[in-house]
Amino acid sequence: MAPKSDLLQGTLDLLILRTLATGPMHGWGISLRIQQLSRDVLQINQGSLYPALHRLEQQGLIEAEWGNSENNRQAKFYQLTREGKKQLAEETRNWERLADAVARVLAG
Amino acid sequence: MIRHLSTRLRSLFRRDRLERELDVELKYHIDMLIEQNVRAGMSDLEARRAALRVFGPVDGIKDDVRDAWLSRFVETAAQDVRYGLRNLRRNPGFALVVMLTMALGIGANSAIFSVVNGVLLRPLPFRNGDRIVVLRQGQGDTVANNMGFSPKDIDDYRQARSFSDVVEFHNMFFILLGRAEPERVSSGVVSANFFDVLGITPMYGRSFVPADEAHGAPAVLVLSYKYWQRSFGADPKVVGQVFRMNDRPHTVVGVLPPVPQYPLEVDVYMPTSACPFRSNPKNVENRQFRLMQTAFALVRPEVRLSKSQADLDLVAARLGKDHPDDYPQTNFRATETPLKQDLTRDFKTTLLILLGTAGFVLLIVCASVANLLLARMVRRERELSVRAALGASRQRLLRQLLTESLLLAVSGGLLGLIVAAATRSLLVAYADRYTSRAIEISIDQNVLLFTLVVSILTGLVFGTVPAWSARFDVAPALRDGGRATHGNRGLRSALIVGQVAASFMLLIAAGLTLRSLMKLQSVDPGFRTENLLTMRADLSFNKWPLNMERRLRTQKTADYWTEFEGRLRAIPGVLEVAGSSTFPLNERGPFSNGLQRESKPLPPGVQPPQVDYRVASTDYFKTLGQPIVAGRAFTTGDTVDAPGVVIINQSAARHFWPNENPIGTHISGGTNARNEPVWLTVVGVVADIRQQLEQKPHDEVYVPLGQLPFSSTNWVVHSNRPIDQIAREVKAAARAHDPDLPVANFRTLAEVRSSSIEKPRVTASLIGIFALLALVITAAGIAGVIAFSVNQRTQEFGIRMALGAPRVGVLGMVLREGLTLVAIGLVIGMAGALALTQVLQTLLFEVQPTDSLTFLGVSTVLLMVAVVACLLPARRAASVDPMIALRAL
Repeated sequence: MAPKSDLLQGTLDLLILRTLATGPMHGWGISLRIQQLSRDVLQINQGSLYPALHRLEQQGLIEAEWGNSENNRQAKFYQLTREGKKQLAEETRNWERLADAVARVLAG
Repeated sequence: MIRHLSTRLRSLFRRDRLERELDVELKYHIDMLIEQNVRAGMSDLEARRAALRVFGPVDGIKDDVRDAWLSRFVETAAQDVRYGLRNLRRNPGFALVVMLTMALGIGANSAIFSVVNGVLLRPLPFRNGDRIVVLRQGQGDTVANNMGFSPKDIDDYRQARSFSDVVEFHNMFFILLGRAEPERVSSGVVSANFFDVLGITPMYGRSFVPADEAHGAPAVLVLSYKYWQRSFGADPKVVGQVFRMNDRPHTVVGVLPPVPQYPLEVDVYMPTSACPFRSNPKNVENRQFRLMQTAFALVRPEVRLSKSQADLDLVAARLGKDHPDDYPQTNFRATETPLKQDLTRDFKTTLLILLGTAGFVLLIVCASVANLLLARMVRRERELSVRAALGASRQRLLRQLLTESLLLAVSGGLLGLIVAAATRSLLVAYADRYTSRAIEISIDQNVLLFTLVVSILTGLVFGTVPAWSARFDVAPALRDGGRATHGNRGLRSALIVGQVAASFMLLIAAGLTLRSLMKLQSVDPGFRTENLLTMRADLSFNKWPLNMERRLRTQKTADYWTEFEGRLRAIPGVLEVAGSSTFPLNERGPFSNGLQRESKPLPPGVQPPQVDYRVASTDYFKTLGQPIVAGRAFTTGDTVDAPGVVIINQSAARHFWPNENPIGTHISGGTNARNEPVWLTVVGVVADIRQQLEQKPHDEVYVPLGQLPFSSTNWVVHSNRPIDQIAREVKAAARAHDPDLPVANFRTLAEVRSSSIEKPRVTASLIGIFALLALVITAAGIAGVIAFSVNQRTQEFGIRMALGAPRVGVLGMVLREGLTLVAIGLVIGMAGALALTQVLQTLLFEVQPTDSLTFLGVSTVLLMVAVVACLLPARRAASVDPMIALRAL
């Protein structure tokens, strides 16, 4: 079902899904969280974040709801759907397999 | 999943809201960045700048988000289409049957709509098309009692303030000389500003200017596009060439673009000054010289139609008051009709009836396809259940089913366009008999749009029915080992009932028009139509010098035709020869004139009633076999110098001479130059005949050709020899008589008769084809439903037979099931037909819309077809082997 995606896009999708696995979050929060978790190695470019969020929403992997943010402003909160959770599990497995394979080749 | 679908629907229909939400979402992010920067110690302005720099181009991001919305939708649609196509390829037979059925149903509608569009809907292809009105004047119903217009009349109607102008048009036939052969050209004699009023600009050269219309101005011609193509090989250098016509040089000054010509198609146009009759000063002064059938007026842009009619009423009232001798004093009025409406007056009802019948066909097609899909749905239930079990949502499956239906409908629509395009020339020829707008019929964007909309609508209709009735429950379908559990029997039966009802109505329409046509064909018109050859002969206006004294001119023309008649009679095998103004069943009608009896003077100001006048030679009645019931026929003695005589028909005798002998009495049809009535003696009474098959005999007065020699004549030759031989010899005789005499349009009277009912014939054929189509589709539908039901009940039949039910009993059971549906449909159809056939009234000739014979016949045919359709599957039910059926349990 998911469109064929290059590594980068696929990776971003995976990161978003993983981030959302901890709970509903708005776009700003997602970008902060990824930055934090990766210890500033991964700077999320907003130019790809929002299209990715909307694409995932269209694919039914995440769903959105308007709610109040911590500073009491209207914000769009995203959360994983059932399909999104399945997709995350699968993608994570794929990623681990890939990382494993790459590591083995490099260790070669 | 439902939320996900709704987002996508929103992305289609609620684009605005999505856009607003996106703005808010992005703004929140930017605000957060600014806040972060401010906290890091930047000034407000700096913080904002830095935030925007980090965030990147907002518009670019928005575009990418929009792409994400769209690509997903397109992708799913593409997936549905791909899957649908694969599915249809797997069942090519099914797909083919559905597409062909759709093609016929949609094709019939597109074809008829292309005619409706071309002649009724499209604006007239002139600049001023929507502001042109056709004027008529007369007593009461101005269409039926149209008096026509004289040049003086036109001048007066120009005074009506609502019109920016009024122009004249009349049609004359002249002989154009100066080319290889003399050519008889149909000429439109028009006011100089005719083309300006209509809004037509010539393709080459110029149109007319006011100077062209001045008395004695050099004669000029504008050629019609068709004539220019046909006769001058589309040579633009024809502009400036000079030809002789009516003894004067005529210079071609322009060529028209290919536009339809109203009120009728002519070869050339000339200004009024060039027509020898219209330009004659004596005629111009005569208010009763009404050679224009109609006049055209251009309504000022700011004037509403009701206002211009009020203006017309004013002028008409004044005319009647100022010239009591020239206008009827009671009930006289002038009317206007928008040109667009006037051109299709005779066609509109027929056309709308045809569109209605085509619509019925489409309904039947829809029901039939829906039924096919329902049957297929039962077989697909397992597949759908499996997909549902694998996580496909109900919406997703519904969408898939609808996509398949739309695919079928749109491909059917495309094939339908081919049907419409293929039948175009036939329909143009048919429409051409009703209206000069026929050449505007084409498959244009309106027709394409219509076809697309109809296709999509039908796709939705026949796709929704089975889709909503479909069940996607996982459990039952799978548990039953894939055997279908239900057949939507109620729905399918209802569809069959509907199809039968609609088919019945169509068959009734077809039956009524067919019966009407048969009555028309078998009408006894009261004269002979076998072994008669008809032709037209036109004497050139410049055969005699135009300044020749009128009486001498009449004499010479009479002698000219007498000699021509003699030559025709001398052809071996020719039994009789008739010369006349026109002959029965011909397209050219009689001319109208008043009938006034000498012994019954009319009160001043009262116009005599109008009757049909026809010119006939001595042997006219003998040739046609029209019996003389009293008095005598015309003789060679009825010459210009002899006292004027007429023959009337029985109908006129009854109306004007009730209980009197008309022979020897005097009547008048008009006045002489001194405005005195010219009295003519009634010398004979002829039997009534039908001049047109669908018309009852009119009141008629016949005038001898020897006393009123027309220059434009029609001839009828009676011979038992082969008609084409006679035609050859007639041409030779005509050449020997006068090489400049064009004799043309050779047709047997039987051909003329057949051609005169071509309109009802084609109408009946079209309705017949539609009805036949409906019948076949419905019969197939019935057979399909019964076969399906038999299939489902195989075991039941097996058990019944195992328990001793006779085969005939099983057969009867199945038949009963089918025929019950048919009977219900028949009853509904009959009620519908009784309610609807009134609209056919105008198409019917001597047949009542509730004609019991037609109703009986159609019911019988439909029942018989239904029995056959049921019998085929029923026989299979009866031949079920009980053992095999039971083992299959």
